[in-house]
Amino acid sequence: MQSSSYTRDRCVTGVHGLDEILRGGIPYGSTVLAAGTCGSGKTTLGMEFLVRGAATGEACAHFTATEPSVKLLENIRQFPFFDMGMVDSGLINVFDMDVLYSWLGLEKASFDLEDVHALIKAITDIVNTIGVTRLVIDSVTTLCYKIKSEQLIRDFLFTLGKKLATLGCTTILISEITSATENAHWSSFGVEEAICDGIIVMGDVERMGHLLRFLQVVKMRGTAHSRAKNTLELTPLGVMLTPMLKWGSTVDNKQGWG
Amino acid sequence: MEMELDQRIAEQLTEVSLNSSIQVRCGTSNAFMVTASVIVPLLHSFEMGGVYISASRGAAETIDALEALGLSTENIHFIDLVSSGFLGGTEVEHKNISFVDSPIMLESVLLRTLYHLRTTDNERNFVFLDSVNALAIYNEERMLAEYLHTFINTFRNREVLTVILNVPDQTPPSVLANMDLYCTDLVDRGQVVIH
Repeated sequence: MQSSSYTRDRCVTGVHGLDEILRGGIPYGSTVLAAGTCGSGKTTLGMEFLVRGAATGEACAHFTATEPSVKLLENIRQFPFFDMGMVDSGLINVFDMDVLYSWLGLEKASFDLEDVHALIKAITDIVNTIGVTRLVIDSVTTLCYKIKSEQLIRDFLFTLGKKLATLGCTTILISEITSATENAHWSSFGVEEAICDGIIVMGDVERMGHLLRFLQVVKMRGTAHSRAKNTLELTPLGVMLTPMLKWGSTVDNKQGWG
Repeated sequence: MEMELDQRIAEQLTEVSLNSSIQVRCGTSNAFMVTASVIVPLLHSFEMGGVYISASRGAAETIDALEALGLSTENIHFIDLVSSGFLGGTEVEHKNISFVDSPIMLESVLLRTLYHLRTTDNERNFVFLDSVNALAIYNEERMLAEYLHTFINTFRNREVLTVILNVPDQTPPSVLANMDLYCTDLVDRGQVVIH
């Protein structure tokens, strides 16, 4: 019997603990859904992913749909790990989706097939022109609100992911969800999770009235990975992760908590 | 402040290595004397710095008590698990204290400790956990035992000396038994345990 030693090249995220969970990083060219509840650290994770790439000379892009880029940068520059010089030097390129819509003449309430294709072309043109190898779209939920049919959302994400992978770009699509419990969907529209190569779920575990942030890699095509819950802490150095205590990852009322 | 330190503790510390984990048993009446008897040689004789996890009382109080002995605490970062529990508790002047909301956020304490160890310039570091019995007030027995297991192995792996303070008769028996198993060294200044 022949054994295969083939492993896919990895995009080393540089996020403390995440590459260990992913046994080396995200397989290059993957589209990963980072689905999380509000305040779970999605935007910080996405931005740190870009910063770590920019630090090694990679061209990075961030499309922001949830807040204006000025506000995003004002918030993120409070973290010492973030270097505004990376934005000034063009290593990290931040785009307002509203500005992009305006350029494309897409200032409308809903998008049809033609609009969706125009949007995909605009994003992939930017990625191709700059030579972007790390991309974050924050959030795909806000973006997809304008796409009214599930089929169109599916087509949009599938085509976008395929084109970005062809360009060698590793992408994180940030998704807003209202619950990260066992029975929750990991995406807002129920289709993103099936299309993406990987799913990272972020949320809170309540422990005696306190919220602990967690991160869990549910799926990642092309690599073995841990599926355990990890506690996430936002530090000045960026995101830090450690496996969540097994006896503390769920509240079991029968055990009475001491 | 006049206090006689226990010199035998300093002698015992000469026999431990950086990846050791020391269980320090004390009583309710000698806890601070035992703490100071460990901290003084670590700072002065071994020129170490580190992280002090303060779960028994507010970190500012510990700093003041150590400084009253003539100790400089500038090479120690304090993680205070107590003072966020009451309004005004975090309004302190010391720059080397960070606060965690509650002693139940055990993983946050571990990550904050790792963060400070990543940012320190000290060549040799210790982590001083004060104390297991204080954590046992808030945390369920099995979770605390699991935590200590993780805690000790995390720092042992990084060649950081772990010192775990413990009042035995206020600590759950299974946690005590696990401590005996995980720790490499014992400094016993505790009381007789009757369960």
